[in-house]
Amino acid sequence: MSESTATREPPAFAVSKKRLRLLGLTLDDAIKVFFGGNAFVSVIVLALITIFLFREGFGFFGQNRQNLRIYRQAGLEYVDFIRTQTDDHTALTRYLSDLRLRQLSFFLQEKKLSLADANAALAAFDDFADRFGTAIDPLRAMVSDLTEQATEIKTKFIVAGDKREERRQLTAEGKTADAAAVKIDEVNFTNELKPLLATLPTYRAVNRELEQKLKGVLDTAPPPPTPELAVRFDRFKDLVQIYVAGFPAVEKNLETWDYLKSVPVSQAFTAFVFGHEWLTASFWQDWYGVVPLFVGSLMVSLVALVIAVPFGVGAAIYVNQIATAAEQKFIKPCIEFISAIPSVVLGFFGIAVLGQALRLLSQQSWLSWVPGFPYSERLNILTAGCLLALLAVPTIFTLAEDALNNVPRAFKEASFALGASRLQTIVKIIVPASLSGIVSAVLLGLGRVIGETMVVLLCAGNRIAIPDFSAGLAVITQPVHTMTGIIAQEMGEVVRGGIHYRALFVVGLLLFLLSLLINYVAQGIVRRYRISIG
Amino acid sequence: MVTSVPILMDTRPSAPSTAPAAGKPTVRPPAVGASAVASPAALNLPAATTLIDIEQVDFFYGATQALADINLKIDDRKVTAFIGPSGCGKSTLLRCLNRMNDLIEGARVSRGTIRIRGVEIYQPDVDVIELRKRVGMVFQKSNPFPKSIYENITYGLRLQGRSDKSDLDAVVEKSLRGAALWDEVKDRLDTSGLGLSGGQQQRLCIARAIAVEPEVILMDEPCSALDPVATAKVEELIQTLRENYTIVIVTHNMQQAARCSDKTAFFYMGRLIEYADTRNIFTNPANPQTEAYVSGRFG
Amino acid sequence: MNIAAGGHIFQSQPNAARRWEHATFWLFRAATYLVLGCGLSVFATIVFKGTRALVKPEAPFINTTFFTDAPETLYVFTFEGKGYAQGDREHRAFIAAHPAAARVKAESYVYSAGGIFPCIVGTFLLVVGSMAIALTLGVCAAIYLNEYARDGAFIRFVRLAILNLAGVPSIVFGLFGFGMFVIGFKVFGVQFFGWNVSLAAGWFTLAFMVLPVVITASEESLKAVPMGFRAGSLALGATKWQTIRKNVLPYALPGILTSSILGIARVAGETAPIMFTAAYVVRDKLPWDVAKVSDFFFQGVMALPYHIYVVSSKIPQNEYTERVQYGTAFVFLLVVALIAATSILLRNKLRSRYQW
Repeated sequence: MSESTATREPPAFAVSKKRLRLLGLTLDDAIKVFFGGNAFVSVIVLALITIFLFREGFGFFGQNRQNLRIYRQAGLEYVDFIRTQTDDHTALTRYLSDLRLRQLSFFLQEKKLSLADANAALAAFDDFADRFGTAIDPLRAMVSDLTEQATEIKTKFIVAGDKREERRQLTAEGKTADAAAVKIDEVNFTNELKPLLATLPTYRAVNRELEQKLKGVLDTAPPPPTPELAVRFDRFKDLVQIYVAGFPAVEKNLETWDYLKSVPVSQAFTAFVFGHEWLTASFWQDWYGVVPLFVGSLMVSLVALVIAVPFGVGAAIYVNQIATAAEQKFIKPCIEFISAIPSVVLGFFGIAVLGQALRLLSQQSWLSWVPGFPYSERLNILTAGCLLALLAVPTIFTLAEDALNNVPRAFKEASFALGASRLQTIVKIIVPASLSGIVSAVLLGLGRVIGETMVVLLCAGNRIAIPDFSAGLAVITQPVHTMTGIIAQEMGEVVRGGIHYRALFVVGLLLFLLSLLINYVAQGIVRRYRISIG
Repeated sequence: MVTSVPILMDTRPSAPSTAPAAGKPTVRPPAVGASAVASPAALNLPAATTLIDIEQVDFFYGATQALADINLKIDDRKVTAFIGPSGCGKSTLLRCLNRMNDLIEGARVSRGTIRIRGVEIYQPDVDVIELRKRVGMVFQKSNPFPKSIYENITYGLRLQGRSDKSDLDAVVEKSLRGAALWDEVKDRLDTSGLGLSGGQQQRLCIARAIAVEPEVILMDEPCSALDPVATAKVEELIQTLRENYTIVIVTHNMQQAARCSDKTAFFYMGRLIEYADTRNIFTNPANPQTEAYVSGRFG
Repeated sequence: MNIAAGGHIFQSQPNAARRWEHATFWLFRAATYLVLGCGLSVFATIVFKGTRALVKPEAPFINTTFFTDAPETLYVFTFEGKGYAQGDREHRAFIAAHPAAARVKAESYVYSAGGIFPCIVGTFLLVVGSMAIALTLGVCAAIYLNEYARDGAFIRFVRLAILNLAGVPSIVFGLFGFGMFVIGFKVFGVQFFGWNVSLAAGWFTLAFMVLPVVITASEESLKAVPMGFRAGSLALGATKWQTIRKNVLPYALPGILTSSILGIARVAGETAPIMFTAAYVVRDKLPWDVAKVSDFFFQGVMALPYHIYVVSSKIPQNEYTERVQYGTAFVFLLVVALIAATSILLRNKLRSRYQW
């Protein structure tokens, strides 16, 4: 008994084993902390992206303010006031040439005149247009002179800045003697601007003359051949009246112009956000206005979504609700396959094939009713939009299909049990129940499209201008540039730390914030949707 | 940390002389025969001592109270059954005994103590890993790992760093014999544990649990997914295991509790309603709720 | 209801509603197959025209130099009444042999001769490096999220970050990589990063870009491992880490790797992030041609997607340049498609194999 008791001695119920500890952590705790650290990397990366975009981009606004200040102090702004007049005149001339084209086609097609006869019939008009066109010449010459003067002042200022920098660097290196030897021609704007401002009386005289000339020209205008053209011609006359009536305002601007007026910080900001011009490496004045790029991105994305949403959602409904099991097995991997096509290959396809094909299609006479057709720019919003649609369809398809899948079977069965057909069930039960999921799928598709770079860089046409919306729907056949495209295109060519470099980072920041916003909204919709299903 | 209580030893059933080397808890070969089939209550065993002592335990899942004021003493080397309708807290209590509830977010014992052989298992310096080595568990759904049968059994031992081939071979045979599975699988130890039938899988899980030589085996409705034949085998096994292990079994099946447990605890709405010898619970319950339940009027 | 003689009341009858339903279904069907058709036509065009660039009529039928040579300038000229189109080296040899040919004015097209070997090597290096980084970070993060993490502010924060990171445009990753890795930054006078345009900068940029994909894929694979494996292991006295290492990761790993292959396709296919971080338009040296080992990580490389961008935007489109344009696009598409197809096939296979 005693021996058997000894062999059976139960071990102590020792459950408080000491484990090796390091900094108060057991091995297991340390492993957990290690993994947690890895998970935290994503937070760090997101934070770093924000920090770096801000760090590189933030200096932009200060530099842009300086940029705008020079624009004012060197008198560029002053010259640009006058330049608007010549620009407006050019626009009017363009209107006239459009009128001529219409008259010509009237003579050729309605009156069946030969080209020579038609041109002869237009001789009076041509004379009129010529007189209208040459009326601006003195003013244009003046602008040209002033431009030279202002540029000279700006150059002086920049040279002085460079010299200052040189001296600073030399001083920093300890070469005080060399530093002192650097000659800096400080710009005295008051003196430099004097000759510029002294041209005001001349300008007034030129302006009077222009006004007289235009009025004289208008009075001798030849009558247009048809009532329809007469209406257009009257419109032209009105436009000229408005144009002339604007002269005193320009004069007033010039009189009250003060180069010392400070440029507020907010203007550096608004000039970016609302600026209509993105003009870089210009001899005259650089502008960093994001609007044309933003509008370009938006237009391309909209076109892409308009195409992709019906196809993506339609395919999702088809695969999820209508297709047979075999079809599902075939279609799903195929669409996944499409999503794997690299965007640069799609972009290349656009340049090499699709752009040309679409242009040919637009020139088919039976399609001339389509707005904007025919067009001649091979690379434009439409080309890029079509390709982006192909990129967005898989995203929208996958997410929308998920949303449809999440609709409880019971809903469908209940509907069938009440005698509804499949179509009725889909339209009245399935789609409404998954609508928020579908909407967020579309939003994420938008995020995918708006952030896409290579396709738009290669296929959107890269013309930095706000498309002409007066063309109506035909606007989609115009080339644009995009936010992503501009970064990709210009980032490689800019000076590190320069204003252009920083401007590109600000565009990146804008894109980043936009993507966060889209994500946030999409998630919000999904969250709400989850609650409603219960 | 030596907490062995001398008194315990005297009252234990004596061990056969085949017990292996001293210093390790012993696993005796199953005594096939009389004890396996005879009703435990019919055997005239010496009075058991308390192994697990549960006192005034309250338990919460987040803000929901799952157990309220549980007082229960579980006897050493006896089979104790927890019965009661779904959601009564019986499984929760079972999982408190090896702190598997720690894995559930927001789950906590908010009051009371649980002692195993006098050691409070919820005190801060308790190493949960060690605790679980001593308190094994068999789950409702058999969960053999997708490894070979051999690897399944030796999993727990390898964790402890034991890798001597002959040592492992011996343990595998002993455990499989202990789980009454040896004869069925001895020729295919290297095939996947997932290839076994449901009942075999569950016995494999039991073998896996006893391979690490625990003192207590917790069984959470071990037969609920099995057919009657497989159930009978597992119940038979339980009868064999009770000689060496303290078994706590949660069951939905009252006949099962009646057949194979020494003591039965009836839970209802998170409270312990009645705890007594199994025979008493089923023939002469003191509480009318118990009577209603065991006679099948609810649950 | 008009019941035909011999019919029963449930007899199927043609009606407007049914025709309408059929028409609508056909519309959906047409939309679906049109999408597939568009994808196919892109694929087919590039495969068709690309094959012409890569296949030649005589044995070994495949234009091997396209895979083994570096890009060269193509010279097109007429000499003594015969037209020639020669690569740079060939052209120089030709002039050496016929000095008179030097005076002939030749049209030159950059990158249009030779092959794309350096691009293939560069893309391979970029993918391997960035996926190694992304998998390490991503799998560890997923293990934490799925195995250790308990719901709380920290976890919600991390998940939000991952979700948002997934939506960040690739060009923004490019800007970030440029700012952080290429230029670097100074903290208290200590320079961090500043690797210039280099493999290392590209690796990290691409790795961070693909991180959300890897994390999501890994987490899904970990979720697919039944809870019973973990509970069973823990109940046997395994520590958490032992459980994960021995009883969770081995079963999740195939799934993790399979899903991550899609990440590889993404990494290989992206151009924007490597434009300013890792890719050179042209580089004469091959990556292993370095003075010392550490230089290997800090050199720029040529890459397939960037090369496609260069040859499709910077050189004209004509019969002489078509070869390199379509050929490169074809090789690249083939690589990416193979990766994607592997992933899709493996996943389907895995799905049917692992049914716990």
